[in-house]
Amino acid sequence: MQEQETDLALITAVLDGHTQEYSKLVSRHQRFVFTLALRFTRNREDAEEVAQDCFVKAYRALGTFKQTSKFSTWLYTITYTSAMTSLRKKRLQTLSLDEEGPAQHLAHAVSGFNTENAEKKSAHVYLNMAIDSLSSEDAAIVTLFYKGEQSLEEIGQNLHMDPNTIKVKLHRARIKLREKLQYLLKDEVKELI
Amino acid sequence: MTTIEEQIWDYIDGKCDAETQHVLEAKIAVDETYKAMYTELMSVNQHLQDMTLDEPAMAFNRKVMDLVQLEIAPVSLKTRVDQRIISAIAGFFLLIIVSILAYAFSQADYTLPRMNFSFSLDSRITPLLIKGFLFLDALLALLYIDALLRKKRT
Repeated sequence: MQEQETDLALITAVLDGHTQEYSKLVSRHQRFVFTLALRFTRNREDAEEVAQDCFVKAYRALGTFKQTSKFSTWLYTITYTSAMTSLRKKRLQTLSLDEEGPAQHLAHAVSGFNTENAEKKSAHVYLNMAIDSLSSEDAAIVTLFYKGEQSLEEIGQNLHMDPNTIKVKLHRARIKLREKLQYLLKDEVKELI
Repeated sequence: MTTIEEQIWDYIDGKCDAETQHVLEAKIAVDETYKAMYTELMSVNQHLQDMTLDEPAMAFNRKVMDLVQLEIAPVSLKTRVDQRIISAIAGFFLLIIVSILAYAFSQADYTLPRMNFSFSLDSRITPLLIKGFLFLDALLALLYIDALLRKKRT
């Protein structure tokens, strides 16, 4: 709640003419917006472009923010629509776990890690690799749920889907992640569990 | 019928009702299948909660602020329409209506037992004036409906 009040205080300050206060809003949310954009674009340069576009659009529309939902929910919705617009323009092909084998997909992972040295990587890296293997939508749902502090209803609002659909997709994404982590970690999963 | 995995995920997310939660806790305590699944899913859940966010380039904030400086400063939507202007326009039209009614009654011939409203406003009230009057009335009505719908939405 303190975070919410501070976001609203910053928005009020920007609308009152203190436009430099917007920099604090950007700093607070830039990592998540960038990560969410990266889930869709699979490319750092495109993700930065989408994230920048998102913050500029949010700035333009700041006067219309009705404060009936969290600022983060509103911002993440803009991120999603900006990412979709960017993807339509660039006509990117998203990777599907069903279409590619795990080993082949790892070679094309955004992180660019050498799969021959997989056994030396930390659990965080394996997790990111597992998330990268999901579809953009599933990766975004997982990220919004675990790091965006969004409820299923809010995620549905962000991605223009029914909350029940989000629940089903989240569950399926978790199953895929569990299987993926088991494959990636192999013998290490027993030690971690 | 939900699978064991679905049940345990609902339990971990806190989406179960009290009765189901109690049943699952008992099963996890005694059933090896449930216990193993719970342990594994808790581990996956913990990994997901420990997920790290990617960091954009160092100059990201500066680039955004540079772009933002080129934009028109945003203002709260409610400050764009001054309520006093709306009230003044409404008051003006009310005044006209009251004036017309007052003039009409002042020109009336109060002959008992019946009243004779014989007056002519044709020279003063032209079709153009009536059309303008109705147009502005429609505009005020739309503004009022918009304000009403905004209040209902909030």
